[in-house]
Amino acid sequence: MTLARVRGTVVATRRSDKVDAATWLLVEDCDQKGQGRGDCLVALDMVGANRGQLVLLTQGSSCRWTSRTDDRPMDTLVVAIVDEIDQKGESVYARGG
Amino acid sequence: MVLARVKGTVVSTHKPESLQGLRLLLLEKVDAVTLKGKGDYVVGIDSVGANAGEIVFYVTGSSARMTDATKGKPSDATIIAIVDVIEKDGVVTYDAAEGGFGKAAEEGAAR
Repeated sequence: MTLARVRGTVVATRRSDKVDAATWLLVEDCDQKGQGRGDCLVALDMVGANRGQLVLLTQGSSCRWTSRTDDRPMDTLVVAIVDEIDQKGESVYARGG
Repeated sequence: MVLARVKGTVVSTHKPESLQGLRLLLLEKVDAVTLKGKGDYVVGIDSVGANAGEIVFYVTGSSARMTDATKGKPSDATIIAIVDVIEKDGVVTYDAAEGGFGKAAEEGAAR
């Protein structure tokens, strides 16, 4: 999984993925401290993440290992909202802090 | 999934039978804010009926075989959605209904 920041949403009505009640998030690739790298992707939201939150992304064929995405053409999922990250015993990221 | 703009079509007559009848589109990856092309091109199989000029997103890898149009076919990039609106940090950066130019794009053009 990789770290990403939720930056916004994408709306698309003409689709072929057959995922029910899909919310598409615009997410920006981040380093371990939550600093954005400027590269954005579109991801399917699985956890109800909001703008500004640091999240975990799953990419590739592993994205199809959920009941909602089984056999669906999905390659980028938001699978978790990050609360805290520590690196060498030091907190480098805290949600809302 | 990756955001891209449909730049044109690709025609191939010499291809496996499994790819016959599928539309190949020339895609250029775009920046989510400026919607400007990154100069990075891929060819994707169309499963939604996208047209030149539209912003779409596509899936790559084995997931590209999971649409009805590409089941069992050798695709590794399939367009699965035509984008209506992109919102970033509370600002609409793309709106297909307004000819693609959101507030940020207009402000960018005015600058």
